[in-house]
Amino acid sequence: MERSDLSVIDRSIRIPVLIFLASGVFWLIVASGFWLLASSQIHTPTAWWTFPGVAWLSFGRTYPAFLNCFVYGWATCAGIGVGIWLLARFSSVPLRNSLFPILAAATWNIGIAVGVLSVMGGATTGKQMLEFPSYAAFILFLAFVIVGLWALTIFWARRPGPTCVSQWYILGAFLWFSWMYSTANILLNFTSAPGPAQPAINWWYIGSLIDLWLTPIALGTAYYLIPKLVGRPIYSYQLALFGFWSLAFLGGWTGMTHLIGGPLPAWMITASIVARVLMILPVLAVAANFHLTIKGKFEDLGWNPALRFMVIGAMAYTAYGFEGSLISTRTIAQITQFTFVTFGHAQLGLFGFFSMILFGAYYYIVPRLLERQWLLPGFTKLHFWFSVVGIGLLLFALTMGGLIQGFGLQDPQISMSAVSDLIGPFLLIQNVAVLLLVLANLGFAFAFALTLLITAPLKRRSAAIESSADAPRKIAPEVTVA
Amino acid sequence: MNRAKGLFFGVFFLFGLSWLALAAYPYITFAGLRQSKDEATGALAPLGNPGTSDQGARVYAANGCLYCHSQYVRDKSEGSDIERKWGKRRTVARDYMFDRAVFLGTSRLGADLTNVGDRQTDPQWFYRALYNPRATAPESVMPAYRWLFTTREIQGQPSADAVKLEGTDAPPRGYEVVPTAEGKALVDYLLSRKTNYPLPEAPEPTE
Repeated sequence: MERSDLSVIDRSIRIPVLIFLASGVFWLIVASGFWLLASSQIHTPTAWWTFPGVAWLSFGRTYPAFLNCFVYGWATCAGIGVGIWLLARFSSVPLRNSLFPILAAATWNIGIAVGVLSVMGGATTGKQMLEFPSYAAFILFLAFVIVGLWALTIFWARRPGPTCVSQWYILGAFLWFSWMYSTANILLNFTSAPGPAQPAINWWYIGSLIDLWLTPIALGTAYYLIPKLVGRPIYSYQLALFGFWSLAFLGGWTGMTHLIGGPLPAWMITASIVARVLMILPVLAVAANFHLTIKGKFEDLGWNPALRFMVIGAMAYTAYGFEGSLISTRTIAQITQFTFVTFGHAQLGLFGFFSMILFGAYYYIVPRLLERQWLLPGFTKLHFWFSVVGIGLLLFALTMGGLIQGFGLQDPQISMSAVSDLIGPFLLIQNVAVLLLVLANLGFAFAFALTLLITAPLKRRSAAIESSADAPRKIAPEVTVA
Repeated sequence: MNRAKGLFFGVFFLFGLSWLALAAYPYITFAGLRQSKDEATGALAPLGNPGTSDQGARVYAANGCLYCHSQYVRDKSEGSDIERKWGKRRTVARDYMFDRAVFLGTSRLGADLTNVGDRQTDPQWFYRALYNPRATAPESVMPAYRWLFTTREIQGQPSADAVKLEGTDAPPRGYEVVPTAEGKALVDYLLSRKTNYPLPEAPEPTE
């Protein structure tokens, strides 16, 4: 495929993509604030920062505010931004009608703001990951339909030729998200589903949200950028296809593993456990493919921020997949269910896997869209190391604390307050870990804002950033379907 | 172009399977749940939720109780819930048929609440626990929910539902702490949390 027009395409999509990316960073910072607050409140029930008289700043509201800000504000804005950038690149056609995605971004931001304020004000639905009341969910859905339809038109307008696995992941993600978000909200929040059906629908949604929205967005991004950054084609095309279709088949089934022993038909839970264990197959396919693509090349590349973040993200995906299969088996779930182990697992997926890959994509995409360097390379290193150490420490604290909590809960002789005493130190460690991650996010956001706002050309160029900016233009080795 | 059609078909079809099984199917079948009738006594179970407990469920959601408390009891073979006296039997779909909103929860930083209305029957206990969790369990890590109460001057006789507070929590002389409408609804909801009736599909385990 002729790729000499990449910068023309980048220029045509610059504004909508940058608006989504900037919105993502904005909500990442808001989410970080809630995150730090919630993680400090959880282990100090009487400290002043638990705000005992202030309903809207209490743990029961800061925690869902954090999760929703993080998933719908940061992860989804960033995902849409990177997704439409990828689709535009693949279509090889400069874009028109960019007013639609700009409108969608504005609407989406309004929806998040309304939703977060509603959560803080107490107008919560009480359905996990669907806390936003129906009016906020409706605004969000409207925004997503606008940008989703527009993304489809990019795909239809593409230059005839083969499609890529990345493109499949991104398109699939857009279709799946619009389906899951609309039906979950309609069934749970617009009409009121029968009580016993609510957890099933809720967890069908959460499983799908992770495995068929966030995961394919991150994988589609990595499948495009890792080969590009390494400078060689993806190792196996068959493996990539297998990974995609097995994820598409299993992704909608994984949610009920959080309700083992719950009041649902046994076949639902068993099907979910089987799906979650089989999920190891797409995870292995992706891990093997990336590993064999990068193998031998990684050491030659020097310090390339985009690749560093992506490689850590890909490794976290493997770990996330393995841990998910493990803690979903009935034997281990007996201990880990209801504990911080599951929180740690979720953070490994949300931050270690998804966010790290998307951070890498930011470091690749933003300089190309702006046609200038990413500023403050020192902050990039800080962002990287604080993120890696932070997520490692967070995973350690929540997993160790969670295991102790799980064994404690399993023994009826140990009182609930004794269990919370035992996990106290680990909750303190997770607080430190969250602080590191919040600092990392702040450093990232600061450098991003400077890069975006300072238009003057920079005299002193950073060698580290330069290597990422100049190398990959010449090659386009993504997987294509003949 | 056929490839693209195959992609769209596959993407919709595969996701549609899980949607049918895990979203549409429970939505339809659980709407058909009926009460169970005891053959000997003719008693129906479960019974609907009394008082303002449906409004209380909204307060429960608004204040995020579900992020630390679960509301289901697992079978003896799947965990220690029954040994912990969180319920005499596992819970099943029918137990939730009258709940407008169901909060199964995924965390047990706090105790399971499936049968909290059976363990504690005095509204005063709940008021004291919500006003200051350390008053009912010294080691508790639960936050205080002070906004569910108001402190006001006693007019004539003290109110019947004034919270009996001790030590530093006690209001100044001549004042009383009473639950707001939201606080009362929440406690109504918590008192309604009990599955202390037999169901044919979930008999109590025998030792």
